[in-house]
Amino acid sequence: MPDQEKEKPAPAVTTETPAPPIPSKPASPPEDPGQQYFFGEPLVGFDPSEITGSLIVIEGMDGSGRSTQITLLQEWLESEGFAVQTSGLRRSNLVGRDIDELLAKNAVTRLTLALMYATDFFDQVEHRILPALRSGTIVLADRYIFTLIGRGVVRGINRDYMSGLYAMALRPHLTFWLNVRPETAFGREFRKAQAISYWEAGRDMSLSHDLYWSFIRYQTMIKREFEVMAKKHNFIELDGEASVSTVNKLLRQRIAEQLGIRSTKYTPSSALSYLWR
Amino acid sequence: METQDLVLKPARTEPAKSTLPQPGRPVPSRAYPGALIVVEGTDGSGKSTQLYLLKRWLEIGGYRLHFTEWNSSPLVKSATRRGKQRRLLTPTTFSLLHAADFADRCERQIMPLLQGDYLVLADRYIYTAFARDTARGCSPRWLRNLYRFAPVPDITFYFRAPLDVAVNRILSGRPKLKYYEAGMDLGMSYDRAESFRLFQARILEEYDKMVETDNFVVLDGTMPVNKLQKQMRDIVASKIDLKRFAPRAEAAE
Repeated sequence: MPDQEKEKPAPAVTTETPAPPIPSKPASPPEDPGQQYFFGEPLVGFDPSEITGSLIVIEGMDGSGRSTQITLLQEWLESEGFAVQTSGLRRSNLVGRDIDELLAKNAVTRLTLALMYATDFFDQVEHRILPALRSGTIVLADRYIFTLIGRGVVRGINRDYMSGLYAMALRPHLTFWLNVRPETAFGREFRKAQAISYWEAGRDMSLSHDLYWSFIRYQTMIKREFEVMAKKHNFIELDGEASVSTVNKLLRQRIAEQLGIRSTKYTPSSALSYLWR
Repeated sequence: METQDLVLKPARTEPAKSTLPQPGRPVPSRAYPGALIVVEGTDGSGKSTQLYLLKRWLEIGGYRLHFTEWNSSPLVKSATRRGKQRRLLTPTTFSLLHAADFADRCERQIMPLLQGDYLVLADRYIYTAFARDTARGCSPRWLRNLYRFAPVPDITFYFRAPLDVAVNRILSGRPKLKYYEAGMDLGMSYDRAESFRLFQARILEEYDKMVETDNFVVLDGTMPVNKLQKQMRDIVASKIDLKRFAPRAEAAE
């Protein structure tokens, strides 16, 4: 791997003085009940004490097996009698399709894209995730703010800015990180579509003219961001290179504990058995 | 080699570090050669008319300038329209969508032009978002972070008109107020005109708070148009070295 390590390091977290137009803010926010439910600030017009469901996040890079695991978990939870709602990136009614178009045209700059993703995220929070959590539903989130923060940070947007953007995101009850090596992820992703997409390979970042190295370097940078966030936000790290059934078992054990489900026994129905390898 | 002769020497050398504000980093004030003039104020305060006249004055003088308007990026337009038509927007997504729109104009127009030695005129700027979105209940701290990438204007004109004057100007000229424009999403009143009035009062209050903190140049929106314009032009001429933006010698040929 010749110049894989030469890439620019992601900007360090600095304790800088705020920009002039920012009015003085308290050094540490006063003890705020909102912090229990949100990362920083309460969401306008929402009472978090109404939450009766659980928010379970599965994070991991492209090719880490998130979607497969979510499909299986949904079946397991439904067989246990729980109502399940899923969420994921670019699925909002408000801007989901607009982001698809922006990505296809690839005429968009990093900050605009980051803000469109934030719009997509909060639209889903307000119209899909919160209503579900209020009615006692289990929400399985295929990626969450961590992917979005990581993608912004590796593109040179300040970490504080990115996490400030998501200050009103709900704190998940559980956050799993399916950790895989970029090399493994490359093979899995390639097999899916017989190609690697422009964005998966981070081609907008001009890391390498070789598609393979561009993918590896980009995903390595994202992975480093995940390592930083994993410590800070108590991710439950799982080996995403283990078999589907092994990963699924570990997920079920931890979720069962959270939801008070006694048995974690599960074999997929015939409709989903093709995923079980 | 022949090709070397074709390489033009740039008029200015590229600085080692970007001179533009980066999200979340201190803004290097005036680190770029261009200048930014902004107008702010409630609906009906007369700001757009005044900026139009200022623009005409500068255009006729041949100055290099670019005019940009709030909420006008084609990239984000369809999403904003859909969100408004179907009333999908909440205070948070309303705010984020406008920020995305602004970021697009900022990254693709405002910033490159400021670096390229242009005079940029903006009809509404980040202070519109601060006033409106705070009036909608968004956290001011969150909002200030959201727009940290925006260059600080060289002049921010704040057109101040008493609530009744501004509201009546809008109500008499525009028979039907739009849902979000009237602040109907806040549920303050079922009557659109009344809701609009209450919403504008809140916005006015937020603008007034920023006069000191954000160095607004306050102008009286009730003055006769031509007198107000004279004031505006005098201030621009005194605060900005307009010669820098005058037509380049070769352009005159």
